Amino acid sequence: MVGKRVILGFILSLALIVFSWPGAQTAQASCGAVTCFVVIGSQQQVPQAGLLTVNAIYNYTPMRLLGGTNGVIAAVDQADRTMILDHHQETRTITQQSTLDLNYGLTDRFGLQLTLPYMWRTHKHIDGLGEGGANGEGEAANFSANGIGDTRVGLKYNVLPTLRSMVVLGFGVYLPTGNTHAHDSAEKVMESPAQLGRGQVGLNPTIYQTYELIPHRLNQFASASYRHTFRNNDGYRFGDEYMLNAGLNLVAAPWLVLTGQINYRYLVHDNFSSSLYRSLTPADAGFPDDPALIDPTIKNRAVPNTGSTYYAFTPGFQVGLGQLIESSWTNMTSAYFFAQIPFERDSNNNLAQGTSYIFGLTRSFQVANPS
Amino acid sequence: MRPKKTSTMFVGLVLLAALTALPVFDSWSMGSRVPTVGMQAEDFRLTDLAGKEQSLSQYRGKIVLLNFWATWCKPCTTEMPAMQASFDKLHDKGFVVIAVNELEDDARVREHIKQYGHTFTVLMDRDNKVANQFGVFGLPVSVFIDQEGRVQEYLKGGLLTEQKIEEVVARIQKKEPVKAAALQ
Repeated sequence: MVGKRVILGFILSLALIVFSWPGAQTAQASCGAVTCFVVIGSQQQVPQAGLLTVNAIYNYTPMRLLGGTNGVIAAVDQADRTMILDHHQETRTITQQSTLDLNYGLTDRFGLQLTLPYMWRTHKHIDGLGEGGANGEGEAANFSANGIGDTRVGLKYNVLPTLRSMVVLGFGVYLPTGNTHAHDSAEKVMESPAQLGRGQVGLNPTIYQTYELIPHRLNQFASASYRHTFRNNDGYRFGDEYMLNAGLNLVAAPWLVLTGQINYRYLVHDNFSSSLYRSLTPADAGFPDDPALIDPTIKNRAVPNTGSTYYAFTPGFQVGLGQLIESSWTNMTSAYFFAQIPFERDSNNNLAQGTSYIFGLTRSFQVANPS
Repeated sequence: MRPKKTSTMFVGLVLLAALTALPVFDSWSMGSRVPTVGMQAEDFRLTDLAGKEQSLSQYRGKIVLLNFWATWCKPCTTEMPAMQASFDKLHDKGFVVIAVNELEDDARVREHIKQYGHTFTVLMDRDNKVANQFGVFGLPVSVFIDQEGRVQEYLKGGLLTEQKIEEVVARIQKKEPVKAAALQ
């Protein structure tokens, strides 16, 4: 397992810009973390038979508190199977992800997709509200981790292949290749929501549609996806994820495509089977002290402060390097950049995704002759 | 938890996107199946750059190279000189080239044809119908049709050379056994 991670990490590092991140693991982390998501046509479409399309994508996703929220959330300790209400106060999470996305056209209508993410995550919060510190104010802590996330394998089928349009139905399976038992500096297992992997298989049906409103000038696209992750061995289940995207591509010049899209994501509450505690408050005798037990056994209980609603506008552009500079290095290659700018968010008093950035390179290789 | 105002706005946007995508469903009924080698090529009627209507069936008795193309498609324009050269060479032997342009305006196509001095027939497939009829969803595609109107070869991608065209035409003229389709 460790060997596999090292190899995949090495491949990703070679394929993408290498980012280093100092790894000072000092404390137990909390809360969930997300990465940004946009529609990149070469990821959603089915390449022609024998064509391999390689996407190397880097994205930067900061998460901070929204105005009017205080970031006090429940702590999830899957190692001891306990959930402690109002035990952490969130400060920020930053996730960087490099993704190697491979799309191969098995036929002109059937495609195979493999997505390998490598992540760097840092997190800051105040741990132990009602328990730590002289007055139960908790202690500042931070955390960082890096490694492979959950790998996705998918099949796609183009149900409507014409020159003007495309409707692609896909079904992907997330494999639990990401680490779920990373430790903090105190050698305690970090909480499930902050781990790089989810620890269980996930199912991910998708649909993508595109239509050339003005042929080779303006095209419209829309996509929807759903992700369900089963409960992992730590008793934690990530909430279902619904995504909708719609946008336009404008060919401004033969080498330049301008994009604008609206993105929507709805995350259902995570849930946990554990024992339930609450942090002490100044009204409790003996404050500050260990959390108080509420219920020794809770099953399938929603984790407060998880789940979110997120709307963003994402402008971007794609440069066809092959059209710009004719050479074997730039042939069938393009680069793109997007900024995902949220315009409405609800994060249940937790950290909310801020403006994110995505940079990527796409190159296609005809590895088998379609004839 | 859902901000209601934004939800309504988003649903509106999705509906708008769906409405703009409605023309897609016009195409649901189209075949988009690649014709099998040996089968009769379905007839069609399109106008040329002079506005004159032409049909495939009017070329019965000739060997037809039906080529689907667009000016922005580099492999298409790369193989067109070979088409022109073969047309010049084999025209007297009953070989015709019909270049079916996809979804572009007349002025642009006329300019391109004039610039490169092409003399073969150019037809305008303005609503993408003939491309759908011949299962074309990537450019270029070339279909060789024999004197009886049967499909004899179907080539995807920019694979046409003078040698290739002459080889296929010679084979059709000799009425050699039908070769398996060059497609999947």
